[in-house]
Amino acid sequence: MTGKRLQVDWTRCDAHGLCAELLPELIELDDWGYPVLADGDVPGRLSEHAEHAVRACPQLALLARTPKA
Amino acid sequence: MTTTTITTRSSPRLLSGVDLAGRLDLGRHLAVHGPLPAALRSGTQDVLDLADAVNLRGRGGAGFPFARKARGVRKGRQDSGGAPLVVANGSEGEPASRKDAALLMRAPHLVLDGITLAAVAVGAREGRLVVGDPAARDSALAAVRERGREGRPRVRIRVVGVEDRFVAGESSAVVRASAGKTPIPVFTLTRTAAGGVNGRPTLVSNVETLAQLAVLARVGADEYARVGTADEPGTTLLTLHRGGGAAVVEVPLGTPLSAVLGSASDSRAVLVGGYHGSWLSGRTVTAANLSRSGLEAVGATLGAGLVVPLPASACPLVEAAPVVRMLADESAGQCGPCVHGLRAIATTVQELADGAVAPGGVARLERWAGLVTGRGACAHPDGVVRFVASLLATFPAEVALHQHQGCGRPLQGLLPLRPVTLLEDAA
Repeated sequence: MTGKRLQVDWTRCDAHGLCAELLPELIELDDWGYPVLADGDVPGRLSEHAEHAVRACPQLALLARTPKA
Repeated sequence: MTTTTITTRSSPRLLSGVDLAGRLDLGRHLAVHGPLPAALRSGTQDVLDLADAVNLRGRGGAGFPFARKARGVRKGRQDSGGAPLVVANGSEGEPASRKDAALLMRAPHLVLDGITLAAVAVGAREGRLVVGDPAARDSALAAVRERGREGRPRVRIRVVGVEDRFVAGESSAVVRASAGKTPIPVFTLTRTAAGGVNGRPTLVSNVETLAQLAVLARVGADEYARVGTADEPGTTLLTLHRGGGAAVVEVPLGTPLSAVLGSASDSRAVLVGGYHGSWLSGRTVTAANLSRSGLEAVGATLGAGLVVPLPASACPLVEAAPVVRMLADESAGQCGPCVHGLRAIATTVQELADGAVAPGGVARLERWAGLVTGRGACAHPDGVVRFVASLLATFPAEVALHQHQGCGRPLQGLLPLRPVTLLEDAA
């Protein structure tokens, strides 16, 4: 997942907060429990954790996309 | 009741003839504007070259270059092979704005001409005209009937009614409405140009933009650019509020704001653009010109063309607080940061207006603004934050005063919360 960027479908996200538990290096929660994503691409050392967070989201609201050139 | 009049100033274009004739039916429309040039109607001449020549930009708020958007749809058609579609956005979700409704009620055929030209430009055989205001919808339906099955290549235009709500005007919501679905914004990874209504390459354009295209097609680039500024030729429609009423006016781009305000030009607080727009005060009111660059120079945008001056007897914080509440309530309720963030912001702005805000309230507003921006499926939360941030930045003395006590100025309701009415006989 190196070079990918995380993105949230805000219409799906229900503030379960799993993503922030699985990937605290890149995801914090705001005042209401919704994810705040770190800027930039997912660094290689975190790619496995990021993949795990994407798969674990019960709303399928967390996405990892290749940024457009 | 707030009423709206339609006024033309020097060299009207979109509003040509409406001061004498009221609504231009097909016969009057042709008498005032003449037919569309055959070469543009058939597509042997590319209307996008004309749009490029005069830097035609969208008049719905975002100001995106029209020709670039249309070329994106051409490319989407090549890539996907799907039948393209033109969607004219006349939903006008801004309750204080009535320029699109006025245009559809007085000169609906210019909008239909614009849809036809845009359809020819992107190779579409179909157009949808999305309208919020019921009277504007009737006028648009009548105009489609007046035309019958004329023209070749034929472009079939259908009128789609949507409810008057704020987020229904957002581009992805209009695309949904055109497909017969509830008009709320959606999260999508596909650009509208590549896959919009039912996955078809879709050109979404504001109705005023399309009417400008219809005028441009007739007068040509040189004549079109005779008014306006060198970078931003042509005219623009504004909804100008004053004394509890509203008027739709057409002015050349670059017109000084003070000239439009007239006796209200000494106003200490002027809202420009819309409820996603910005506040001006004092020097910036005097300095501002009504063009994209002219307003950018004072930190504002032309947006949807709304201009609301407040008298000295009105407090901008007190007047704005119910608007922020309404905007929070108008969230489609899909995205958490918008739902929770705007609700918290609206409550604190009202507390500030009442002179009853807890210590640190303004700092919290600023933090929440950062948490809401860019975290929704549409630009609604970002727009509301812009409105509130501009309010706080433009009136620091009022904000300081209100942190300790109210200013004593009562709410006058000068910023409408419900759509303002357009009177049929007001012109």
